[in-house]
Amino acid sequence: MENFALPTEDLYSPEIATITRVETLTESEKRFEIRMPGEKALNHKPGQFVEVSIFGFGEAPISICSSPTRGPLFELTVRATGRLTDKMHLLSEGSQIGIRGPFGNGFDPGAFKGKDILFVCGGIGLAPLKSLIDYTLDRREDFGRIIILYGTRNPSEILFPEEIKTWQSRKDVEFAITVDQASEEWQGNVGVITTLIPGLELDVKNTIVTVVGPPVMYKFVLMSLKGKRIPDENIYLSLERRMKCGVGKCGHCQINDTYVCQDGPVYHYPRVKQLEEAI
Amino acid sequence: MNALEEKLNRFVKYRISEEDVRLLIDHLKQKAPVYAPHNSGEASFSYELVEKSTDVVLQYPRTMQPIKKFFLPPKEVLLNFNIKDNTYSKPEVPEETRIFFGIHSYEMASLKRLDYSFTQGHRESNYISRRKYAIFVGISYEPDESHFSKSVGIDVEETEGFDLFLLKNDTGYFLLEITETGKKLLDGYKENLVPDREELKLEPLRFKSKIKYHHNRLPSVFDHVYKSKVWEKYAEICVGCGTCNLLCSTCYCFDIRDEVELDAEHGSRTRYWDGCMLNTFAEVAGGENFRGSLARRTRHRLYRKFRYITAKSEMLHCVGCGRCSHYCPVGISMTDIVNDLIADHEEKQKREKI
Ligand SMILES: Cc1cc2nc3c(=O)[nH]c(=O)nc-3n(C[C@H](O)[C@H](O)[C@H](O)COP(=O)(O)OP(=O)(O)OC[C@H]3O[C@@H](n4cnc5c(N)ncnc54)[C@H](O)[C@@H]3O)c2cc1C
Ligand code: SF4
Ligand code: SF4
Ligand code: FES
Repeated sequence: MENFALPTEDLYSPEIATITRVETLTESEKRFEIRMPGEKALNHKPGQFVEVSIFGFGEAPISICSSPTRGPLFELTVRATGRLTDKMHLLSEGSQIGIRGPFGNGFDPGAFKGKDILFVCGGIGLAPLKSLIDYTLDRREDFGRIIILYGTRNPSEILFPEEIKTWQSRKDVEFAITVDQASEEWQGNVGVITTLIPGLELDVKNTIVTVVGPPVMYKFVLMSLKGKRIPDENIYLSLERRMKCGVGKCGHCQINDTYVCQDGPVYHYPRVKQLEEAI
Repeated sequence: MNALEEKLNRFVKYRISEEDVRLLIDHLKQKAPVYAPHNSGEASFSYELVEKSTDVVLQYPRTMQPIKKFFLPPKEVLLNFNIKDNTYSKPEVPEETRIFFGIHSYEMASLKRLDYSFTQGHRESNYISRRKYAIFVGISYEPDESHFSKSVGIDVEETEGFDLFLLKNDTGYFLLEITETGKKLLDGYKENLVPDREELKLEPLRFKSKIKYHHNRLPSVFDHVYKSKVWEKYAEICVGCGTCNLLCSTCYCFDIRDEVELDAEHGSRTRYWDGCMLNTFAEVAGGENFRGSLARRTRHRLYRKFRYITAKSEMLHCVGCGRCSHYCPVGISMTDIVNDLIADHEEKQKREKI
C-alpha cells in the first residue's frame, strides 16, 4: 500500500523573482533577465523550462535561454501571444514575477563531449537552443565543430542580434541564417531552414543534431537529416505541448504514453519516432 | 471454496440487520465525520456528509460523481493572491480523519489508481493530505447494466483498501473486520454481537456488461488497435462533451486558472477537473492541436485507461464503474468500444493468418 507518511511536495507555489533587465528583441519578442530570491542559482540544465506566472494572468511554460555557466541570473525570451505573455511584455526592470521550476529533463551536454554539434533552430526555437549553444561555447574545448543553422520568417524576426554577431565573427563557430521572405535590404539566404542542410559537409557518425522549432518544422528537418544519413540516434528534439502543471500531473502535455514536462521537452529521436502524436 | 471466498472467510464477521447498519453509522459518526451515498434527485445518488443515518442509501448502483471528489475536488483553490503586492498564501489543506461509508469495491480500486498518479514522480501534498487519514467502509452491490468491474478484475466483494466491509445477505449484512483500524472502530459497537462462524458462500454475480477477453489480455490488445477503424465509428456519434472524463473514477487531469475578484486586487489560482475529450485540451499557441479529431481523443482516453499508465503501474486504469457509459449523452458504452476493438483485432489476426 502507498505510504502516505513519506514527505510530500508543495507543487504549485511559485517563488517570487525579480526582473532585472528587459530587452526588446523584435516586435513581439522580449528578453527578460531574472533574479531568484536571494540571488539563488536556478541550477538548470540547457533545454529545461520554468513556469512563469503573473497573479491574475496565469502561468506559462517558458524555456530558459541562458546557460547555467553564466551565473545565478537567468534569461527568458518571451513571444507575446496571449494573456500571460502579453502582460509580461508590459513589465519592466524591478517588476516581480512568479517562477516554478526548472522543469523537464533538458539536454545532457556531458553526453555530447568530443562530438560535433549541429544546431537547427527555427524561429523562437533559437531561445531554448541558445542555452545549449552558450554552454558549449563556454566549454568550447569539450566539443568538436559547432554549427548553427537559424531560420526565421523574415529579417525583422531575428532574435539575439548581438549574439549572432559574435557567432558570425568567431572562427570556431559555423553560423548560417536564412529567412523565408526577404526584405529589401536583406542580402543573405532566402528559403526555409531545410535549404541550409544539404550543403553541409558533416562527419555524420560524430555529429549530434539538436532541433527546436515550430511544430511544422520537424518533419521536414528530419527528412533532410535522413538525406544526410545522420543516424537517428544522433538526433535530439525539443517538443512543445500545452502545459499546465509542469510536474507530470495535469495531463495536458501528454504525447501518447510520454509526458513532455517530465520525460521531455528534450527527446532522443528514437524514443518519439514511432509515436504518432509526436511529430 | 474459491480464492475470494477463502479470503473473506479469514476475516472476523458479524451478522447484522439493516437496522444495525444504521446504528453502526451513528456509532461511526461519533468518531469522525461520515460521508455516504444519499439520494440526489430521481435515481441519482451522491456522497454527502451524513446528518441522519436514516438518510443513507445502502443499496444503490453508483453515485454520479466518483469518490475522487473528496481527494481531488472538482474545484480547488491552490493559492490566494494579491495582485498589488505580488504576495500569496496557500490555503491549508486539512489532514483530517474522514470515514467514507457504503463504498463500492471499484471506487476503492479507483483510489488505488489515483494514489499511484499523485505519488509517482512528484508526491503532491494536496492530494496526500486529504487522503492520508481516510477510512473506508465498503458495501456489496448489485451490478446494473453499466457495471463491468469484474471484467477488469475487480470483484464486488473485493475488500482491498477497506477497513470494514458490509456484505449483503438475505436477512441483512455480514459486517467484516478487514483491518486493525476497522476493528478498533467497532469498539463500543460490537459488544452485543457474537462473531458468526458460518462459512461464507458467494452467489455468483451476473454482470450484464462484460468485456470479451480476460483483463490480463487487454493491454496487449491495445498494442494492435491504434490504427483501428473503431475509433472513427465512435467519434461519429460522440459530441465531445467530456462527461466521460469528468465523471470517470480514475481520470485526474486538470486545468489551472487565475480568477480575479471585482476589486481587481485579490484573486485565486484555482484548479478544475479537465478532460482530454474536450477539444482545447491539447491546443497550443498558434492554434495547433495535437489531438484535433474526436477519433484521436477517444483513442487517447482509452489508451490512458488500458495501456499507457498500465504499462508503468501494472494496473488497468479503468475500474469498470460504468459511469462513462451510463452518463454519456449519446449512449457510447465503454464495453462496446473495447469489445469492438477486440473483434477488430481478431479479424485482423485471422486475415494475417490466411
Ligand atoms: C516547454 C515549452 C517551452 C516554451 N518556451 C517558450 C519560450 O521560450 N518563449 C515563448 O515565448 N514561448 C514558449 N513556449 C510557449 C508558451 O508557453 C505559450 O506561448 C504560452 O503558454 C502562451 O500563454 P499565454 O497565457 O500568453 O496565452 P493564452 O492566452 O493562454 O493562449 C494563447 C494561445 O496559446 C495557447 N497556449 C496556452 N497554453 C499554452 C502552452 N502551455 N503551450 C503552448 N501554447 C499554449 C492557447 O491555446 C492559445 O492558442 C513554450 C512552451 C513549452 C511547452
Ligand atoms: S460522454 Fe459520450 S459524447 Fe461526451 S465526450 Fe464522452 S463519449 Fe463523447
Ligand atoms: S473509463 Fe468509464 S468505466 Fe472505466 S473507470 Fe472511467 S468512468 Fe468508470
Ligand atoms: S504539464 Fe501537466 S502533466 Fe505535463
